[in-house]
Amino acid sequence: MSAPDDAYKGYRDPTLSTMRRFEATVWSKVRAHTTRGTFEGLVLPRSEIADAEHVVLKLQSGYNVGLRHDTIENIEVLGYREAVYRVPEEEFPSDPTKPRVRLFGTGGTIASRLDYRTGAVIPAFTPGELYGSVPELADICNLETEKLFGVFSENIGREHWLTLAERVVEAIEEGYDGVVVGHGTDTMHHTAAALSFMVQDTPIPIVMVGSQRSSDRPSSDAARNLLAATWTAAHGPIAEVMVCMFGPTSDTYNLLHRGTRVRKMHSSYRSTFRTIGDIPLAMVTEGHLSPLKTGWRERRSDRPPQLHAVWDERVTILYYYPHMNPDVLDALVGCGYRGIVIAGTGLGHVNTKLFPAIERATAAGVQIYMTLQTLWGFVQMQVYETGREILARGVLPLANMLPEVAFIKLGWALAMHPDDPDAVAALMQENVTGEMTEREPHDGYLLFQGGVPEMRELLSRIRS
Amino acid sequence: MIRNLFKAAPPDPFDLNPRTDTPLDFPFHDYGHLTPDDYDRLGFICGLEVHQQLATRSKLFCRCPAGRSTARVDGEVLRHMRPTLSELGQYDGCALMEFKTRKDIVYLLERSTVCTYEMDDTPPFEIDEEAVRVALHVSRLFGLSLVSELQVMRKQYLDGSIPAGFQRSAMIAVGGEIPFRESELGRDQVIRIRQLTLEEDSCREVSDVGHLITFRTDRLGTPLVETVTEPDLLTPLDVAAGGRLLSRVVHTSGAVRRGPGAARQDVNVSIAGGRRVEIKGVAHHRGLPRLVHIEAFRQLELLKLRAELLDRGVTKDQLTIPEVGVAWESSLAVDARRALRGCGYPPVADALARGDFIAAVRLPRFDDLLGRRLQPGMTFAHEFADRVRVIACLTARPFMISSHLQDYGLKASTWRRVRAALSAESRDAMLVVWGAAADVDTAVREILIRAQDALDGVPSETRQSYGDLTTGLERILPGPQRMYPDTDTPPLPVPETWIVAADEAVGELPWDREDRYVATGLSRSVAARLVDAPWADLFDALSPTGPESAGALAHAFETRLPHHRRTLGAELPSADRLRPLVAAVEAESVHPQAFATALDDLMRDAGVAPDEVVNRYAARGDVDRAELERRLSEIEWVRTERAPNLPRDAAHRLAMGLVMPALLGRLPAQVVGSAVDAWLGDAPELAA
Repeated sequence: MSAPDDAYKGYRDPTLSTMRRFEATVWSKVRAHTTRGTFEGLVLPRSEIADAEHVVLKLQSGYNVGLRHDTIENIEVLGYREAVYRVPEEEFPSDPTKPRVRLFGTGGTIASRLDYRTGAVIPAFTPGELYGSVPELADICNLETEKLFGVFSENIGREHWLTLAERVVEAIEEGYDGVVVGHGTDTMHHTAAALSFMVQDTPIPIVMVGSQRSSDRPSSDAARNLLAATWTAAHGPIAEVMVCMFGPTSDTYNLLHRGTRVRKMHSSYRSTFRTIGDIPLAMVTEGHLSPLKTGWRERRSDRPPQLHAVWDERVTILYYYPHMNPDVLDALVGCGYRGIVIAGTGLGHVNTKLFPAIERATAAGVQIYMTLQTLWGFVQMQVYETGREILARGVLPLANMLPEVAFIKLGWALAMHPDDPDAVAALMQENVTGEMTEREPHDGYLLFQGGVPEMRELLSRIRS
Repeated sequence: MIRNLFKAAPPDPFDLNPRTDTPLDFPFHDYGHLTPDDYDRLGFICGLEVHQQLATRSKLFCRCPAGRSTARVDGEVLRHMRPTLSELGQYDGCALMEFKTRKDIVYLLERSTVCTYEMDDTPPFEIDEEAVRVALHVSRLFGLSLVSELQVMRKQYLDGSIPAGFQRSAMIAVGGEIPFRESELGRDQVIRIRQLTLEEDSCREVSDVGHLITFRTDRLGTPLVETVTEPDLLTPLDVAAGGRLLSRVVHTSGAVRRGPGAARQDVNVSIAGGRRVEIKGVAHHRGLPRLVHIEAFRQLELLKLRAELLDRGVTKDQLTIPEVGVAWESSLAVDARRALRGCGYPPVADALARGDFIAAVRLPRFDDLLGRRLQPGMTFAHEFADRVRVIACLTARPFMISSHLQDYGLKASTWRRVRAALSAESRDAMLVVWGAAADVDTAVREILIRAQDALDGVPSETRQSYGDLTTGLERILPGPQRMYPDTDTPPLPVPETWIVAADEAVGELPWDREDRYVATGLSRSVAARLVDAPWADLFDALSPTGPESAGALAHAFETRLPHHRRTLGAELPSADRLRPLVAAVEAESVHPQAFATALDDLMRDAGVAPDEVVNRYAARGDVDRAELERRLSEIEWVRTERAPNLPRDAAHRLAMGLVMPALLGRLPAQVVGSAVDAWLGDAPELAA
């Protein structure tokens, strides 16, 4: 009798046939005789995205090796040992004297385990699992978790933002002392912006956290980020939507960034999140928070938050480039987009070739807003003639709002006022939750140039 | 809290010595007094792990240059490590031990040698093809079976030596064997090779003080191959011989790095009833025999201690305290500060003055055992001190004292107070340890763990070797639980063409080459040395045909080339430059005795044509004889003035020294000697 398909998890022909011939299922202990010698080990599942040519063995030494199917002459099955890869689950201790924190999971790499299907890591999330891998959490709070979604952050979208906003508000109403949202880092700043607009006047901290190195690595930032975020949610004084991630790449402190001013700035560095055009709200380590900025909203115990969980998906970002042809813009209008955020050059410019297309778009009722590719600085369209001409065609400047934040806000504003373009325009140009600032401090823009003597000197004195 | 959550997998049964018949009655012997049969009785087995850097252009997983060393620092990063689960869902004991040390790990960065990959802030780039090809080549030298698909693994290292907390490593080949003719057990021995892996080198440690450890990153990521043997080395001398053989084979590839730190060996030792202990960082082969001998007897003594403890009825339960709460609020440990006040022992008095915490621990029925000698100058108590130093990171020196010391440390009256505080019985041993409270808590727990380990005999450890060839604990021996697939790198199918190329590159194996040299007439030892010499290819290019010229050539190379390379900084000469000399010797137009001197001339007088140099030493028959006569007549003063006052042989040597250099190669020394003899014969006899 042949074994079920699951017994050959991930294997496809031609290797699958070879394995079936010798009844060497996954988790069999085998001795494989091949044209290249004899190999003894445990048959592991094969990743579905790996090729179909090799059998994977785990050797006694712990190493995995692949054997090409057509080198295999014979396989002796010696035994069977199924491995259980599971974060040890322990009941999360309850302590009535500690604050209650709600942790929502959306996916991402805060806690994760190996997935043989893709060969990558998948999230592990129950309180027991989290406690099993980061037991220090129990010193901070009573943690209750809820897995809302299990998606990588590139797959996060409208439905997730709406659900998350609703659940966060429910948690606030249920009396939690803080909310933590575990999120993949790639689009964490988009979700942070969405939560900032959809959940206003929160009385408690709403802290978004993720990790740049998955938690199955000894040097992962996951545990440290989670501890800092959880502490901020449980004990921190700032009642805003924040992103809590590594400050420097060293394990030194975390930064709390305002949800509408933060952006992921490096594909892989631990210290990838940066507040743009301003300074972060605070530095935090587990047990200690030092504010860097004033003017943040303080934790309160009174009013419930306002929930505005709406978002119109007919919005887009148009990243301008030289020689752009107007058909790009026309196509967007033709596709039914209602709002377009342009990421313009310099102070907020596009070429004159676009002018007729802009006119056609605004005439069709499409709202167009100007933000900056430079990320730092303000849209100032009065300085050059091009800017004035763009303004004259109905494009509205968004000061120093980040393009991604403007995109999220525009979807939200269109849904807030579906039949009132003027109200949308007014809302877009109003500072709702810190997405635009009146002034840029001198150290709000710090992109130092490596290699120059003063930076060498500085870097020799600090841990980056 | 963390302590009671992370549970380590048990030590690997694979590491146990296959024999259990420990010869507990075997008396202690210093190194140099045992025969191979004695080591067999001990059940001594040893395997080697040879780490050899490859001479590639780039590092293994990024495009930083390999092989550069620097003392410059452009920046620093700080990291901490946490244990993570293995693929099979277990924690590695070594990883948990390192986690207990709670170290701040600082990495020193230098712009030209590291990028964001080494800092673990960028995922790996493609594995270096050159390194894979060299690894395949070396695998074939060892006769290993190649895998068909490389799977990069993460090998956890929580000691901080790698910023990621793991080393990327791939199994290249398994299961081979090489002849081991150098064995003292006979020329038919073999060494089985278990495996060869390709991995990235770790950081260089700069300092390790308390909870702060600092590493330099220049070496990090350099490709190296690790060759692991089966435990086939059965005597200490064989361990050294095996080590030489392995590095010789690796060097045969011609693609490995030389120089300090380019090759490092670990030795795995066990005896009957014991388990594998890994000794790291052995730089020289010549110290290996004494090192492994000392380790064999350390294990024997530990097994004797085990038998004695079991005999006394000591159990692990008696050595266990609760995991929650502080260690000194238990039946085995107390806060000893009060008992020690005014004790008069300066380190303890200083500790009290600093405000250190001081705990005392009792080990039931261990009384005199702590003083048992395990290694030269080291007692069982040192094993406890090591464990505390490594894991609890106590910074005071000393940080611990034990009750077996009679004539040093605490006074008997003080020990009585400690004993009372501990409610210890007279047969209990006591240890007093001081430092920061959190560290002392760790220390107390580790002392008890080490005591429990004593009931198993030999703990599963990685040890570091010291200058006197004794060893100390470095960490718990990591097991297969520390392996985890690297999810950042796709599997790499090994192209058939690479395997073919590796096989072609293998060429003549060193033992075959040695046989060929022996066949040309070289002695076995000269042949073996020549195989390893950098001029072996030059020798082959000159292909001397007769035993005489081959011997003269090998000898001249061995004695003269290192000198020229050292003093003149000269490159090896080309085969073309030396060929006329070899031809002249083989044609018997130059006598082999002139070989070395002629070689000197060829090296020194680089501007002179080789034929001309060789001509200086060419025999010319009668001309040479006439020259001899003429030269002797020029030193008539020797015969008349010096010889009468010298012993006959001294006079002979004096005359030979004066005439022979000019005739070297032209006339054999024996011929000149006889002539001098005859010439001296006419001299007046030495006055009585």
